[in-house]
Amino acid sequence: MIRKLRRVTPFQVVLVTAFTALAAFMSIPIIFILNHAFKPQSELFLFPPRIFVQDPSFRNFEILLLHASNAAVPFTRYLFNSIVVVGLTLVGVIVVSTMAAYVIAKYRFHFKGLIMGMITLSLMFAPETVSIPRYLIISGLHINDTYFGHILPALASPVAVFMLIGFISQIPNELLEAAKIDGASQLGIFTKMVLPLSIPAIATISILTFQGAWGDVEPSTLFMQSETMRTLAFYVNSLISGLQNSVAGQNMAAAAGLLMFIPNLIIFLLFQKRVMETMVHSGIK
Amino acid sequence: MGSIKFNHVYKNYRGESRPAVNDFHLTIEEGEFLVLVGPSGCGKSTTLRMLAGLEEISSGELYIDDKFVNYVSPKDRDIAMVFQNYALYPNLSVYENIALGLKLRKTAKFDIELRVNRVAKVLEISHLLDRKPSQLSGGQKQRVALGRAIAREPQVFLMDEPLSNLDAKLRAQTRAELIKLQADLKRTTVYVTHDQVEAMTMGTRIVVMKDGVIQQVAAPRELYDKPANLFVAGFIGSPQMNFIEGVVTLEEGRYYFTNKRLKLLLPREYDVQFERLTRSVRNVIMGVRPEHVLLKPGEADGEEYVAGVVQMTEVTGADSYVYAAIGDYKVIARTEPEISYRKDDVPAIGFNKGKLHFFDVTTGESLAAGGTEA
Repeated sequence: MIRKLRRVTPFQVVLVTAFTALAAFMSIPIIFILNHAFKPQSELFLFPPRIFVQDPSFRNFEILLLHASNAAVPFTRYLFNSIVVVGLTLVGVIVVSTMAAYVIAKYRFHFKGLIMGMITLSLMFAPETVSIPRYLIISGLHINDTYFGHILPALASPVAVFMLIGFISQIPNELLEAAKIDGASQLGIFTKMVLPLSIPAIATISILTFQGAWGDVEPSTLFMQSETMRTLAFYVNSLISGLQNSVAGQNMAAAAGLLMFIPNLIIFLLFQKRVMETMVHSGIK
Repeated sequence: MGSIKFNHVYKNYRGESRPAVNDFHLTIEEGEFLVLVGPSGCGKSTTLRMLAGLEEISSGELYIDDKFVNYVSPKDRDIAMVFQNYALYPNLSVYENIALGLKLRKTAKFDIELRVNRVAKVLEISHLLDRKPSQLSGGQKQRVALGRAIAREPQVFLMDEPLSNLDAKLRAQTRAELIKLQADLKRTTVYVTHDQVEAMTMGTRIVVMKDGVIQQVAAPRELYDKPANLFVAGFIGSPQMNFIEGVVTLEEGRYYFTNKRLKLLLPREYDVQFERLTRSVRNVIMGVRPEHVLLKPGEADGEEYVAGVVQMTEVTGADSYVYAAIGDYKVIARTEPEISYRKDDVPAIGFNKGKLHFFDVTTGESLAAGGTEA
C-alpha cells in the first residue's frame, strides 16, 4: 500500500520540476535584495552585475544611518510613525472588516444587495482615482497631520471585507444558532465563534493590509504637512527617488530597500504559518 | 415544567404563497417524547425552529409552561437543541463545548465541572473531554452534542434529525440509548425526523406532517393501525401499505369491494363506514399492509383468493417480501422466508379481512375516521 503511494508518475516529476523552477525564479528578487544590501560600493556597480555578494559588509547601513541622523527628523521618528500607523491600521481593518463581513454574510437586512454591490464596485477602482476624494474628506474632517489621517483611508478595505464574507458565510448557521440557544449574546457569538473561526482569513488579510500600509506613501505625501508625521516608507521613497541618478547614494538605497522589505517577510512568515495551522486543525470542512 | 402549547401557529415565508407551517395546533404534555415526522419540506424543521426561537412565528401563539414566548429569545426559553450536523464549536474542546452554555449562564465553576463530568460519565465520553471536535468520530460528536444539551438541564429538548448522520448500526444503537436517556431524564422532548422507523420506535406520540399541515397526531400503534388518511397510511410502515382502487357495492344487505379482478365480501364490522357514504357510486381505495396479504400456493378460488403473478421477491432475513401483480393491481406481501416464491409463480392471493383500511378516493381520508361525506 505504502509502496503504491510512493510510486512517482512522470506527470508528478514534470510538475515538481516545473514548480521548483518557478519557485526559484520567484525568489530571485528576494535573494537579490538580501545580497544587494551587503555589497560594498565597488560591487554595486560591477558589470556584468552579480546576484551574490562577494565581500559582504555593513557599510551600507552605516552610511544610511549616518545620513538619517543628519536629517531634520530622526530616522527613529519615521520608524515610530510607521509602527503606530501600521499597528492601528491592522487592528482597525480587522475590526471593521470582520464586523462588516459577518453582518453581510449572516444577516438579512434592507439594502444588503446594494451595499454588497458597492463593496464589489469599489474593488475596481485604482487607488490613484480616489486620491482626490480622499484628500477632500481628510481635510474636511480636519484630520490632516494626525495619525487618523493615515488610518482612516485604509479602514475601508473592500478586499478584506470581500474575502471575509466568503469565509464567514462558510461557517454553518447551526453553529451560531447553537451558541444563541446556549445563551451567547450577539457580541459573544461574534467574538467567541466568528472571530476564532475566521482566523485563517484574518491572517490572510493581515498580510495584505500590512504590506499595503507599510509601503503606502500616499497619506504621508498628500495628507501630512509636517515632516514629523510622515512614515518610514515616505522617507525611504524620497531617499531613493532623490538618488535616482546619483552614484553616491546607491549603497544607502540598497540598505533601505532591505530594511523596508524585512518586516514584510517576517509578517508573511508569521501569519503564513498561522494560516496553515488553522487550516489543518480547524476541523471545518 | 416543560409543557408546550401551539395555538394555530403559521409560518409564511416571503414570496411563497403556501405557508411553510399551516395552522399548527397542538399541546405537548410535560415529559412527553413527541416526534415530528414527514417528508422533506413538510415544515417539521420549521416548526421545531419556531419552538426554539430561531424562526419568527408569522401568526398564532406559542406557550412554553403557559408562558407566552413568541417574542422570547432562544436563550431565555430554557430549551436545548441538538442539530443534525451536531454544530459543535470547532475551536473549543469537548469540555468547553459542554460547559459553554453553563458558563454563559453564570453557573459557578465547581458546579460546571460537576455537571460536565456527570454528563460525560453518563454518555461515556469522559476520556474525550480534552479533545477538539475535529478529533472525534461521528458517534462521539453526536454524544458531545447530546451532552451539551443535557448539561444545561433545560425544560425542553429539541432534536433536529440528530441520528441521520450516523451509519445504520450506530443509529440503531444511539436510538435505543436516546430512548433510555429520555425515560431517565423525563424531560419534554420534541424530535424531528424523516425516518418513520425512528418515529415509530421513539415517540410516545407522533405528529405526521405534509406540506405544512398536520395529518395525524397519535401514538405509534394507533398511527399504524388507524391511519387517518392515505398519506399517513403510505408514509408509516415499510414496505408501504398496498393501495387497491375499487368500488363498494351493496348486494342483499352485504357490502362487497369490487374491481376488475376482485370481489371481496366484507365483514359486517365495516358496514358502519360505508353507510356514511351517500353517493351512489362508492369509489374507494382499499389499503392493506403487506403482512395482511395472504399468499398460498395453488389454485385461486376466484372469491377469497385470486390468482397473482410473482414479479420479484426480496429476502431481508427474518421476512421476505413478494411483489406480485393481480392484473393491473400491484401488491406486496410479507411471507415466511421458508416458503420461497420465484418470478412468474402463480400463487393464490387473499387478504386478512379484519385488517383492511378504506379511504375516500377524492379526499384521501380514511372512512374509519368518519365524517368525510356529509
